[in-house]
Amino acid sequence: MMEPVLQADQVSFRYGGGETALRDVSFCVPRKAKIALVGANGAGKSTLLLMLNGMLRPETGEIRYHGKPLEYSRSSLREIRRRVGFVFQDADRQIIAPTVWQDVAFGPVNLGYRDEKLSSLVTTALHQVGLEGFERRPPHLLSGGEKKRVAIAGILAMDPEVLILDEPTSTLDPAGSEDIMDLLEELHHQGRTIIISTHDVELAHSWADTVILMEKGRIIASGSPGDAFSDRELVRRARLRTPVIVELYTELIRRGIRECPQMPRSVLDIIRIIECDRHGGMQITTHGCGTITVLDIARADQDEVLQLIEEQQVRTIGAMGSRAKICLRQWGIIPDYTYAVIDKCILHAMNGRSSLILTSGGMVLRVAERVREFNRENDRSIRVITGNRSDTGGISHSPREEETGEAG
Amino acid sequence: MIEHLLDEHAQKSAISHISPRTKLLLGLGTLVITLIAGSILLPLIAAVSLSLVILCIARIPPGVYLRLLLIPAAFTLMSLLVILLLGGGGETLWEFSPSSALTLTITRESLSQAALIFSRVAGGVTSLLFISLTTPFTDIIRVLNQCRVPREITDLMAILYRNIFILLDQATQIHAAQVMRLGYSHPREATESFGMLCGSLFISSWNAGDDLLRAMDCRCYDGEFAQLTPSEPVRARSLLPVILYLSLLAGLALISATDMIPGAI
Repeated sequence: MMEPVLQADQVSFRYGGGETALRDVSFCVPRKAKIALVGANGAGKSTLLLMLNGMLRPETGEIRYHGKPLEYSRSSLREIRRRVGFVFQDADRQIIAPTVWQDVAFGPVNLGYRDEKLSSLVTTALHQVGLEGFERRPPHLLSGGEKKRVAIAGILAMDPEVLILDEPTSTLDPAGSEDIMDLLEELHHQGRTIIISTHDVELAHSWADTVILMEKGRIIASGSPGDAFSDRELVRRARLRTPVIVELYTELIRRGIRECPQMPRSVLDIIRIIECDRHGGMQITTHGCGTITVLDIARADQDEVLQLIEEQQVRTIGAMGSRAKICLRQWGIIPDYTYAVIDKCILHAMNGRSSLILTSGGMVLRVAERVREFNRENDRSIRVITGNRSDTGGISHSPREEETGEAG
Repeated sequence: MIEHLLDEHAQKSAISHISPRTKLLLGLGTLVITLIAGSILLPLIAAVSLSLVILCIARIPPGVYLRLLLIPAAFTLMSLLVILLLGGGGETLWEFSPSSALTLTITRESLSQAALIFSRVAGGVTSLLFISLTTPFTDIIRVLNQCRVPREITDLMAILYRNIFILLDQATQIHAAQVMRLGYSHPREATESFGMLCGSLFISSWNAGDDLLRAMDCRCYDGEFAQLTPSEPVRARSLLPVILYLSLLAGLALISATDMIPGAI
């Protein structure tokens, strides 16, 4: 088995010698994992998260980073905090400086970066969260979602391996939450390990690959989202609610639908289960499958996109990643989907309708992969077309090249 | 809120691309000249011309600007009234005695003193408003940095500036919550509510301080605070008119000083 990035071993903690906040907690975080800590208020989620970058020191037990126990000397704490970035629940509490640029530069400056290296780190971080042009803005004039992005950029500028977010969506509206979750998806795709705490069960269920349920300072369940949420008793004890998809699936089984080896996680999965039960496979409309066109926005201009939309008579447009969303906003195109885009477009294709996904960089490959996987599992042949005029599907551009391409 | 307003307009002003140093030179230069000039006319000229700059070049909405002017206007008028009626010497122009114990008079001297103060206030307020409406606070910090003000002071200014808005937000919320529960309906309750407001603000700023330390710690704080990249360069196109304008004002001040006795203060 691959060595875990972070590991908590029998960790216990009390605040100020008072009530116990954590009792004998053990868990490990594999590389490139997407983990959601789920539990009621006061279950100890934040306490546990604060231990992972050494902000709190366990009373008993230890935290290990790449197998090595954390040391609490000044220099090793700096190192662990650079490696394990922490985004606070309240962005206002995290944003220190009076302008966006200064705040994002805060970490890198303290790590000793200066001049060109510093500005390139800040520019890249702002680019990643989609906040170019916000450099001079003071944080108090930003919206909640924008503040959250500044907070995330401030951490990304230190290039952490692990990203911890305490309740990343608790203060955001649904659209804002989806944007942040899409951003996390993008960051995960770049190879970062991400841990969040939340009490939004739907979000944890659809996003995470491992869900950890907590109750009164203990871990009571840990596993795939389907497993963690399917035990009603545990969900009740953790003061949570069963996600709608899980509930729907349980009821469908009670109504006699055949069980599926994998717990469903999305609307697409549920549809597949129903169709497989009814027809032995996913049904297609009489006029066949629709296609999915993917366009790398970093290498297309406004005319190309508009022309493509016109030519192919695309009615459904999905935007994945902050880059694509910014471009569409600038060009006055309103995307239909900005979250769980691939699933929605697959559903559209099954209904015989074609759609266009605008995204950038490595996410283009991800679309192709996901659709290929779906095709294989369901014996379907939804076509993915690479929409860029200039190539035939090979993605070789690095993010840096995209940046310069954009500036020109 | 007025504090949000000022900074927001400064961010959006049509001359935000001009170097903060040029703008500070114009604002502070005018301020100094209006304060040392002995003539009544000169500060008024400065006030009118800077107002034109604020409205026509920086494109600050007139309504906003007028509302901002009203704030100092209220207490200026009050103090002018006092100087006008109680200041004195010279020929009496107008007399009024509401009772035998009190006689209010306006004299030639008090009139000219009041006029001088009014014009200086007008000039001074306009120059300060010019600075705050066109130069974001962060730019001012940057200029201070370039002027070699110690880092400790400018860093502290930056943190204070950032936290003022958080504290204000909190104060507004607590105040609203109190008003909703009729906390300010009677003087007695109002005093009590205000005390509570101050108390909880103190506690929450104390906590905010703790949080700030934690946030800085979390981001590897090591005594360094990022400075904004160098500001826009000072350009001749904007600097020359400013110097021309200031020399003109200074010249006028010199001329008026020779044929007038400097202000009576």
